[in-house]
Amino acid sequence: MAGMFAGPQEMMGYSFNTAPTSASEPRQHSFYPYTDNGGSTLGISGADFTIMAGDTRSTSGYSINSRHVPKLFLIGGEGPKNKGARIVLSVVGFAADGDALKEKLDKEVKMYKYQHGKPMTVSACAQRLSHILYNKRFFPYYVHAILGGIDEEGKGALYSYDPVGSYEREQCRAAGAASSLIMPFLDNQVNFKNHHIPGSGEGHDLKPVVATPLPKETVIELVRDAFTSAVERHIEVGDGLQMMILTKDGVEEQLLPLKKD
Amino acid sequence: MEVLLGITGKDFTIICASKAAMRGATILKASDDKTRNLNKHNLMAYSGEAGDTTQFAEYVQANVQLYSMRSGTHLGPDAVANFVRGEVAKALRSRRPYNVNLLLGGVDPTTGKPSLYWCDYLAALAKLPYAAHGYAQYYCLSILDKHHHPDIELDQGLKILRMCTDELKRRLPIDFKGVLVKIITKDGIREHDYVDDKQILPA
Amino acid sequence: MDALVSQLETPRSQQELYNSEEEQEQLALSLSPSLKFALPPIAQSQAWLRAMTDDYSNPNCPIKIAHGTTTLAFRFQGGIIVCTDSRATAGNWIASQTVKKVIEINSSLLGTMAGGAADCQYWLAYLGMQCRLHELRSKRRITVAAASKILANLVYSYKGMGLSMGTMCAGVTPQEGPALYYIDSDGTRLAGNLFCVGSGQTFAYGVLDAEYRYDLTDEEALELGRRSILAAMHRDAYSGGFINLYHVKESGWVKHGFNDMNPIFWKTKLGKGEFSNVTADLN
Repeated sequence: MAGMFAGPQEMMGYSFNTAPTSASEPRQHSFYPYTDNGGSTLGISGADFTIMAGDTRSTSGYSINSRHVPKLFLIGGEGPKNKGARIVLSVVGFAADGDALKEKLDKEVKMYKYQHGKPMTVSACAQRLSHILYNKRFFPYYVHAILGGIDEEGKGALYSYDPVGSYEREQCRAAGAASSLIMPFLDNQVNFKNHHIPGSGEGHDLKPVVATPLPKETVIELVRDAFTSAVERHIEVGDGLQMMILTKDGVEEQLLPLKKD
Repeated sequence: MEVLLGITGKDFTIICASKAAMRGATILKASDDKTRNLNKHNLMAYSGEAGDTTQFAEYVQANVQLYSMRSGTHLGPDAVANFVRGEVAKALRSRRPYNVNLLLGGVDPTTGKPSLYWCDYLAALAKLPYAAHGYAQYYCLSILDKHHHPDIELDQGLKILRMCTDELKRRLPIDFKGVLVKIITKDGIREHDYVDDKQILPA
Repeated sequence: MDALVSQLETPRSQQELYNSEEEQEQLALSLSPSLKFALPPIAQSQAWLRAMTDDYSNPNCPIKIAHGTTTLAFRFQGGIIVCTDSRATAGNWIASQTVKKVIEINSSLLGTMAGGAADCQYWLAYLGMQCRLHELRSKRRITVAAASKILANLVYSYKGMGLSMGTMCAGVTPQEGPALYYIDSDGTRLAGNLFCVGSGQTFAYGVLDAEYRYDLTDEEALELGRRSILAAMHRDAYSGGFINLYHVKESGWVKHGFNDMNPIFWKTKLGKGEFSNVTADLN
């Protein structure tokens, strides 16, 4: 298995042997502290809600480690179950880094509440997460993070991050192994990219469809469709779909089955 | 293709540096000043790694000035040159050396004698009557070898400089956007209005 | 005085900024950007970081950092025009088409973003903080020269560590008038009238250099900025998305939209007959 000082993911070889290496030959060891645990996540924000979702499969190489390793985490709640949390973090990539990142953000959001006597806003939490990621600019977390919540105006808020902390508020974002499958679908179905109003003009005068926030039921349908489709075409996605629906009343968690092959 | 040239004469030193600031395939600026005044009678011209150049020049400039504030005396050209060499040498043996090539032009205010020091990024220092860095060496040193004299007047020095810059314009494959010329005399450092908008083509 | 002098004598990278662990923890908890970064537990940390993140020298690198851009800014009679595209790429993947590459440092200072998205976002936010502190300490607004030097010295202290940024600082102050500086991660800092930065810089320069004059009217200048970015978005695959346009004046900056390039492209092509390399109809 890929250890700390092994090369990047050694796969099963073909039938011919690789040249034997003698013990006296110098061998290059490289520092490779990452593995990709696969899986995919997505988030969509609406007028008064945000939905975060992720599959629950955990892989390394071609093997499946587990069928239930959640990628969605409640941030800043009470007790071990994070009761009353209003922010959700999703992380995909290297699960250990994801875990470390979750722990760090959760600790800081909790400390903020204890020190200031009020919960952290999503925008503040979003900036904090960016700084946590950037603090490891020279030894990055191997993760793509998405943060969801409800903003101060009661609107759905969604922030997406690159591994070293550049971030942006968006309507929707897919991350992880199947992001290249899911993101174009979301562009088309959430932001109505390249949709035109029929009969609004000829050729280049056709008016584009203006994206408006979608109702919650429609978004849940989109999320399910995105994942069932991703499972069909990506080996690292499957087993279970964990979904968190954030509204002003709190977070509702759903777990749905996905194909297990 | 940065050009750095220095010429001494009877009572002056001329320092000349190209005006182009290049990054990759782009000239970002055509009026760049690659020199810093270290004190009233000492000028340093620099080329080399982006960032290192100005950082080193301003560091040296500040420390030469700090020395004057603390001691109430001004460093002469020889002292300045050896101090600068020391700083390059110190950095050379550190985690991250400064990658800079330098020309130090000066006039000793007491004796009125001009001086020119050549220093590369390996901290090799040489006191010379005329000097160049980079590709300018290959074209200009032979011209200077032929025409330079230690007791030339300023107008003669500028004539030789003109021969050098004309040759560079004629033969260097990359446009360096002309040169900035500064003259150091016992009265201090002044910029010389150097006209070089004329196109020069190989015969 | 001596403490100040000794501080100035040693480069920033060698200065111990925070000593006790408690202090550091406290700092991590405060919401301000810190200057202590985690490093990998090996000797060659730079080479390692490059192997992990530089998709240019190693297309199979595991961590892809968002990159690619065209940005431009130029000084003219009516102030400064700042214009950018909005695309972020990670390898060949378009990570986002809606990036805000003009960073509003304060009501009169703008920064642009090219290179590593996180590097620019983080350090320009840090610069914004330093500018505000300067204001509070000295009771007057910082000059663009000083602000750009804070940034240049900062990135220089991290030289060789793998930061990647090409940024421009634009602002109008009572002391300097309209001022424009170019700063990049190898420590270069240049004042100038006109800069284009990023993978599409050459295409933008081509259009901008040809029609640039200092006495441009406000409308002409805005249109030239927009057209130059459009040229780069059309020719450079790493640039695209939306045109983000700003005008910096004595009274502060004014935003002139974040507009989809596509309708602008077709209006330019069909209305003015430019871009004749593109066929408008399929026959």
